[in-house]
Order: sequence, then structure tokens, then C-alpha cells
Amino acid sequence: MARARYFIIWKELDPTRRRVFQICSFIIPLLVWSVVSYCPAVWHPMVRVTEPGSIAHFRVDALIEKRAFFRENAKAVEEHRQPASGVPTNPVYLPAPHEVAVSFYKAFVTPPRLPDEPWLHQSLGHSIKIILWGFLISSLLAVPLGIVGGTYRLFSYLTDPFIEFFRYLPAPAFAALAVAVLGIYDGPKVAIIVIGTFFQQVLMISNTTQRLDPALLEAAQTLGARGFKLFTRVVIPGILPDVYRDMRILLGWAWTYLIVAEVVGNSTGITWFINQQAKYRIYDNVYAAIIMIGIIGLTTDLFLAWIGSQLFTWKSGKKSILSRLRTVYSSPRPKPELSQEAP
Amino acid sequence: MRVKHLFGLLLVIALSALTLAACKPAGKEGTQAKPAAQAKGPLKIAYSDWPGWVAWEIGIQKGFFKEAGVDAQFQWFEYAPSMDAFVAGKVDAVAMSNGDTLVNGAKGKKGTMILINDYSNGNDMIIARPGIKSIKDLKGKKVALEVGLLEHLMLNHALKQNGMKPEDVTLINTPTHQTAQTLASGDVDAIAAWQPNSGQALKAVNGAKAIYTSANAPGLIYDALVVDPQSLSDRKEDWQKVVKVWYRIIDYMKNPANEKEVLQIMSARVNVPAAEYATYMKGTRFLSLAEAQEAFKQSASLTSLYGSSKNADDFNIANKVYDKPQNPADYIDASLVANLK
Repeated sequence: MARARYFIIWKELDPTRRRVFQICSFIIPLLVWSVVSYCPAVWHPMVRVTEPGSIAHFRVDALIEKRAFFRENAKAVEEHRQPASGVPTNPVYLPAPHEVAVSFYKAFVTPPRLPDEPWLHQSLGHSIKIILWGFLISSLLAVPLGIVGGTYRLFSYLTDPFIEFFRYLPAPAFAALAVAVLGIYDGPKVAIIVIGTFFQQVLMISNTTQRLDPALLEAAQTLGARGFKLFTRVVIPGILPDVYRDMRILLGWAWTYLIVAEVVGNSTGITWFINQQAKYRIYDNVYAAIIMIGIIGLTTDLFLAWIGSQLFTWKSGKKSILSRLRTVYSSPRPKPELSQEAP
Repeated sequence: MRVKHLFGLLLVIALSALTLAACKPAGKEGTQAKPAAQAKGPLKIAYSDWPGWVAWEIGIQKGFFKEAGVDAQFQWFEYAPSMDAFVAGKVDAVAMSNGDTLVNGAKGKKGTMILINDYSNGNDMIIARPGIKSIKDLKGKKVALEVGLLEHLMLNHALKQNGMKPEDVTLINTPTHQTAQTLASGDVDAIAAWQPNSGQALKAVNGAKAIYTSANAPGLIYDALVVDPQSLSDRKEDWQKVVKVWYRIIDYMKNPANEKEVLQIMSARVNVPAAEYATYMKGTRFLSLAEAQEAFKQSASLTSLYGSSKNADDFNIANKVYDKPQNPADYIDASLVANLK
């Protein structure tokens, strides 16, 4: 009975269960990570030396492969020298969750070590600014182009072949070129994000536009809508919710180019932090920074999803906050805008 | 008819959006995009995280540039992008090795070395797996390094010193920042890298040993301040001041009383613990004014910037980094250092 409830195709679960599973999606990876980090029996391939004994090349706190450690110790015992001691541990590239949590916290509360350096939150702010500019410019161009291309064949033949070609060119390949044209500051970074996002965006939006339910168009035509009106009154509102969903996906796409974009020109933003820490193998800071990006991304997306559900009430079927406020605060009117639009 | 108008309108919209977008990021930096040489703005200097260049930070933090009356704006870069910016003419100077100065020059962007920060004195290393104890042991073995770069030059030099030929080892082309992992993977017998990668490789493989370092060949690799010739000719006085500040930095560094502060400033610039940074300082030989003036004298030996650059040029030609031999003298202006006392 209970099993049947969970395993029905496309069957929505009740809200409580849904929440539980959603939280589990985070808990499970965290659990796996914790088990690997805290249970030496599972996977601790290295030994952290606590006492080097008589072994010349061991140092306190050095990480030694387990096999090498035991081999050296066996040799020492055989030769009646003092063996080393140590505790099993993970490789340096896999810090434990609590170490990452501490780095995460410290990264925000530690003031920059040089007076003119940005705080971490300022670096993050800079990165977000780059993303937003890149995404805004890309969207301003790609959304109209995608919608028009998806609606009128003329435009799709005029743009698609070139875009199909160009989208295979990797954005990072334009790095040196972008610097030559746009300088060393934010210009080339924004450009890399635009190049990385724009072409996918046009194709995706155009594709979405083409998937508009033809019944809507037929119905509108039956009711007498023609020409440009079909485009503005049927196509646009019809695809807008899906375009909005595409944009949410594409915003994530823009983020993937950030790490490339920020080393173009002078080093700035969260990438500078990540690269610098990785170069010196301070991996707990690297994980912390990666998690920060994840949190920013997910929060933005949840926020946008909420806005979307408020904007496109004809799709989500929900009453938006605005309309609810209106019913609370204004006296009921006979019929809103819709009645004026009907011919 | 109406349809035609619509197309026209859309075209205009698309075009204006394009223009807007193209202008936006460029417009923001528009003032800086002017040929820097004519503007009396700050001298823009790109630098990256090699200890010899990180030392500029002392002058920045201690206000030496302001006191010298020169407006120098230092921009932090990764090494390769810093050269891109210089080649594109977006900065007036870049911190570069003498070998890379020749490479960029041969490819069309001349630069003039007006100052020697240091030479590598141990930071560049050839690191071998346990059991390989000398360069001679490398015969027939695999060495991972970035082909055509400084470490390749150093390996060839090491082989020559040991009476061996470049063909005696098999090279595996590997980006420098991945050499530590490459050595740890066990697929190669040795790697060549500079700090911090070389130090991390020593840590990553238990018992690994540096069998050759740049300390075995002093002067093989010089690190310099390379200035756009146009900017140098337009603003020679300002560059003279920059060179002067450098020797104020050197004096400050050489004073034992400042040791702790110097380490603090430099390690903060690259955001690593000061204790770790101290090891990189040891492998960097900062040149005093007298030593630099000596190195700026013409000679065929590695103790001269000319000799060292000639050696790098021979290597670049032999490895087809470029085809036409470069004359080191075209890339060196010894006068600014010679002017100082």
C-alpha cells in the first residue's frame, strides 16, 4: 500500500513527504562525506605522522601513503630502530565537513590581510556583478532574437546556421582577444560570459518558442486575431513562462563561465580566492568557496522560481501576492483588464 | 507593406541593442583604453605570484611610490594573462622572465627589461621519485614538464652539465600547476616545476627529492620588469623613479629588523601562511644594486642578463618556439639601473 503510493509514475507526493525527500537530497551526500571523513575503517589511505621515530624523511604532520608508512616501519623494526607513529587520515584533497565549515566561517570574518584587498563578501559581490552584467547583455540580445527566430522562419534561417556554428567555439578561446579589445578590467570578463551564454540562449529560447501549443494559435485565429496581434497577444504570453524557466537554467550556465572569465585580465572575485588557495593546496578553503557559489546559485534560483510563480499566474494556477493584496485592500471591481481586451 | 515595416523595426532594434551591448563594457573602461603612453595617468604594471615580483607589494604598502612622486598602479594577474594584457597593450609594463620576454618579442610585442628583480636560486626544481638520486639516473626515464617553458630550458641545461643529450629523457608535456599530481600518479619518474608547485610536489610524494634546482645554475632564469618601449621613451623619468623605488624595497628587505614585516606583507599578497612563504623566499635571489649593475653588463656567461638571454634564445630556436634568433640587446635598457648609485 505504502509502496504503491511512492512508485506511481508522475504521481505527486503530499507536501510533508516531498519536503522530507528534498531535505534528504542534501543530507545523503553530507552523510556519505561524513562517513568517508570520520570512519577510518572506510577509506583513509594516508597516515598523518605524529612522531617520525627514526625514519629520516618522515616529518611531523606529513601525509604518507599507508603502504609506504607500514613498509618503512617494518624496516625500522627489523633493524631495531624506533618506528614512526601516526593516525590514519584522508588525502589532503578531501577535508572533513567540519574543516570546510570552519573555513567557510573564517573566510567571511577574517579581514583581508592587506589594506587595499577586498573582503571575501566584496569579492563575491564583484563576481555577482560580472555575472549579472554578462547575463543581462546576453539576455537583451538573445531573448528577442530567440523569440523572433522561433516564430518567423525568415529570422531562424537568417540567424540559426551561424549561431549553430558559433556555439561550438569555446568561450575561453576568446580570452586573449577579449583583453585586446576590452582591456584588463571587467569588460573582457563580461564578454566571456556573454559569449558563453548567448548562443545557447538564442537556440534554447527559439526552441521553446517553437513548442508553443498550436491549438492556442488556431483558437486565436478562429476568434479573429491576425498578424502582429497573434504574436504579441498569443505567442508572447504563451511562451513567457517557459522562457522564464529557460532563463533560470541559463543563469546557471552563466555561472559556469565565471571561473574562466575572472582570470581573463586582472585577477578578481571569488576565482582569485579559489585559484590562490588551490595553488597552495589549502583545499578546505577551496571547498568552502565552491559551496558559497552553490549557495548563491541555489538561493537565486529559488528566489527567481518564487517570482516566476507570482508573475505567471496563468501558468502556475496560483494567486499571486499582488492579486491577493488587491483583493484585500481594494474594493472589488466588476471585472479587471481582461474584459477591456475582448473585442 | 506593414510586414515590411515590422522587419525594418526589428532590425533597427536588434542593431541598436548590439551597439549598446558592445559599447557597455568598453565604454566603462573607455578612458583607460587610450594609448597609455600619451596619457599622463598612472603607470600600469601587471604582476603575478612569483616571490621576486610579490616584493613590489612592500613598496605599495609602505607608500614608497607616493614618496618618490610616481603614480604606479599595480594590477594583480595570473602569469599567462598578465602577458596577454601586455601583448595587447593594456598595461605599460609586466613582470616577466627574460626568456618569456624574448618569446613575446619574437611574436610581435617587444618589451624592454629595465630592471632585474631576482634570479631563481632553487625555486625551480627537477624533482624525482624515490630511488632516482641524480640527473644521470634519468637516462631513459620520463620527465613531465611544460615543453618550451623555463623548466624545459633548465632540464636541458642540467642534462648538458651531466654530459647527456636532450634525447636521453622522454618528455611528457604537462601544465606546471598539474605537475604535483602527475608525480604522485606514478606515471612519470620526474617532473620539473617552480614554486609553489615544486614545493607541493615534494609534499605530495613521500621520499621525492629535488635532484637539480635553479641554484645549480645561477642566472639561468632572470625575472625582470619589462616595459613597453613607447611608454619608456615617453615617460623615462617616471620609470627611473620606479627603478629607484625598487632599490628602496631591496634595502628595506635586506634590513634584518624588517624581516617579519616583509614576510607578512608578501605572504598576505598571495594569501598563504607566512611560515610557508618563507621557504619560497629562500629559493629567490634578490639582486642588490651592485649585483644588478654587474648583471646588466655585456657578457656571454649566465651571470649577465645578456648571456642568460642569449642562452634562452638558443633554446627557443632549438625548440622551435620561434624561428628567427633574437638579439638580447634589443630587449635590454641598462641605463636606468646604471643611473643609480
